[in-house]
Amino acid sequence: MSSSYSSPLLRLGVVLPALTVLKLSAHLAGVSDVLLHDHQLSSPLTSFSQLQEGLYLFRHGIDPYNGGTFRHSPLLLALFSSVLPSSKVFMATLLALCDAVAAWALVRTWRARQNVPSSARDGLVAAAYLLNPYNFLPSLALSTSPLESALLLLAVMFASQKKAAPSLLSLAFLSHLTPNAILFLPPLLLLLLTDPHSHLASPQKISFKRHKVLPLAVEFLLYVGVLTVASTLVAGNLNWVAQTWGTWYAFTLPDLTPNVGMWWYFFTEMFDHFRPFFLMVFSVHLLIYVAPLCIKFQHDPLYALFILTGILATFKAYPTLADMGLFLSMISIFPETFPYLRFPIVTSLLHLHSALLLPLFHHLWLTQGTGNANFYYASTLVFACSNGAAILDCLFAGLRIAVGKEVDGYEVVQE
Amino acid sequence: MLPLTLFHLFLGLSVSLLGAFASDHQEETVKGFFGRNGTSQSTHTNNWAVLVCTSRYWFNYRHMSNALSMYRTVKRLGIPDSNIILMLADDASCNARNKFPGSVYANPGRHLDLYGENVEVDYRGYEVTVENLIRVLTGRVEPSVPRSKRLLTDEHSNIFVYMAGHGGNEFLKFQDNEEISAFDIADAFEQMYQKKRYNEIFFMVDTCQANSLYSKLYSPNILATGSSQVGENSYSHSSDKDLGVAVIDAYTHYVLELMEGINKTSQSTMQDLFSSIDPNKINSHPGVRSDLFRRPLDKTLITDFFGGVSQIEVVDDEEGVEEEAGLVGGNGKDSVSSTAPAQASFAIPERRASHSKRHIEPVSNTSTTSEAKELWGWVGSSTRAWGAVALFGGLVGWVRMRS
Repeated sequence: MSSSYSSPLLRLGVVLPALTVLKLSAHLAGVSDVLLHDHQLSSPLTSFSQLQEGLYLFRHGIDPYNGGTFRHSPLLLALFSSVLPSSKVFMATLLALCDAVAAWALVRTWRARQNVPSSARDGLVAAAYLLNPYNFLPSLALSTSPLESALLLLAVMFASQKKAAPSLLSLAFLSHLTPNAILFLPPLLLLLLTDPHSHLASPQKISFKRHKVLPLAVEFLLYVGVLTVASTLVAGNLNWVAQTWGTWYAFTLPDLTPNVGMWWYFFTEMFDHFRPFFLMVFSVHLLIYVAPLCIKFQHDPLYALFILTGILATFKAYPTLADMGLFLSMISIFPETFPYLRFPIVTSLLHLHSALLLPLFHHLWLTQGTGNANFYYASTLVFACSNGAAILDCLFAGLRIAVGKEVDGYEVVQE
Repeated sequence: MLPLTLFHLFLGLSVSLLGAFASDHQEETVKGFFGRNGTSQSTHTNNWAVLVCTSRYWFNYRHMSNALSMYRTVKRLGIPDSNIILMLADDASCNARNKFPGSVYANPGRHLDLYGENVEVDYRGYEVTVENLIRVLTGRVEPSVPRSKRLLTDEHSNIFVYMAGHGGNEFLKFQDNEEISAFDIADAFEQMYQKKRYNEIFFMVDTCQANSLYSKLYSPNILATGSSQVGENSYSHSSDKDLGVAVIDAYTHYVLELMEGINKTSQSTMQDLFSSIDPNKINSHPGVRSDLFRRPLDKTLITDFFGGVSQIEVVDDEEGVEEEAGLVGGNGKDSVSSTAPAQASFAIPERRASHSKRHIEPVSNTSTTSEAKELWGWVGSSTRAWGAVALFGGLVGWVRMRS
């Protein structure tokens, strides 16, 4: 990319601290109190008030997983009741730092992909993450989903730098927070075993040392196991499995608080005897994307991971805006696809449309009472539509690069 | 052979006698409990009331006012709404012809508003039918009938059944289109007796020829009274000039007048009630049927039927400790002395001043133990949290070492 962005403001060393300070001052100005209970920015699994309730119960010797309202991981419980204070100011600081770390990790990934020690676009990449409202609003709302984004970006960064153990540890920790993250393991392993450089323009069959896959997978499972032991130690018994992981996958989906995802509305209106079937369908649905993506983008596993982020953000059970924000910010490290995006303006307008509709219909339904759940569900459908448009466009662009410029008289055929 | 039979006979007799004596002893204890406070020998534990007004239309204002005055009385004397079934065939208070909407007055000068703000009518309007009344009394209601419309009495319930409306010889008119007969009521009460749905019933009727309505009763423990004999009418008391209708019936008016002077602790008896009604003033001869009632009327308190008065017995400290020490659990026999003060805190404070000092200790005892438990719980969870963090930190360190 040309270095036309030579403005001193866009240097990484300026962007990161400046935006972090901006975020902190926004929190101190009281923005957090307004956003704290927003359903778009925090789900029951990431809500700060739920975290505080769980910490209170834990501190008073009551098992927080006995009730059914606390769904955070026991690791967060342990961290916040021992090493880290759990006040709002600290949480805001922590999340601002998490965002800064995530942006820094994204920049490092970008650098690894371009194989340069530093580039002129670093500040732009960091700003694309930090200034994305889908990212900074959830961290202002003190939700723990920016933590999850940060962990994923760290895992990707370490994998781009070929550091297997830290990458797998980050993914293991992330898997404890959201079990969906296990789906990132295949592309991450492929990334570890190949390289993060951009091969989109020249797809080849992947070649990696297959005998290394199993040790890495075992290492990941080992980390997950140790973290499970630590979680059980904190919680004192195994109730936490059903309460945290079980909300996702044990055919329950107990909490139907409205969020920006597609699951809650289906399950509010579903007869009980259909629930297990549809829960199974919705859960397995997430699984079907992993293998095809890894196969199709075997020449560029980082791109496969990127697309998978978008897909999981659209179809997971309790998403917040931060999940989509991660995907949209990660686009910035694939500038080679920009010329081949077919309808970026349509996608951005759709996102703008849904970003305006979501809080509007939420207010109309739950605060004012003149609308109903269908209004809000319609706006989540628009959001899903805009996500789908973004994913499809990126998918197309990633594949289209390989074709190159069109030449008269020649036809492109897939082997 | 013969000695064996004799022995068996002796065994059987002695067992039955012992059993009889034992149950007698238990009954004595129970009767003693009931008889210890006051002169009433009633064995009821809860009170219910079924108040029925069977006439509709504006000109039958006084019948609704009758039922509402009894409602007011029983509610004032302690029966809660959940134990009262109030059936009003029409809505007098919100009637279009009511010049004072929202109120039903009991006397011509409009001094007493019976409607107020806290009236719960269970059966209203067209729901007041003979079938519904009998279903309520006998308990044979549909499963969909809500709790507030059921008579959930047991064998220790005293029930006050009051009926007002237009009646005749052995019948009472419901809503201008059907009648309930004295036989129906008698059978309903008998069903209640068979199903053990009452301890005692006080049946009061204020209609024309009311005494005929209780003439067919045949179940035990029922005391009945009516406002007029066969062939006599019951008259209304007086009408209010502004409302334009008679506001209350004479019999109920005098009953209400007596009741207004009674509170929950009153020792007035049913005999006082029956004696206070002057036939000259009400222009009819009220009657009383007490042959089915086993207690003497001068020993039966008015509050046995009209009020919801409970028997309370305060237990001595020393008596209750021995058995309650076992209930505390865990402490066992070694600390009877420490549990005794703990139980003392449940006793009525003003009874003995010498126990006041002992009251202070147990409160602090229990609070420190619970606080200590909470502290220990917090320490435990804090240790666990730090342990988990240490484990996680170890994992991070190990990973750093590897890379």
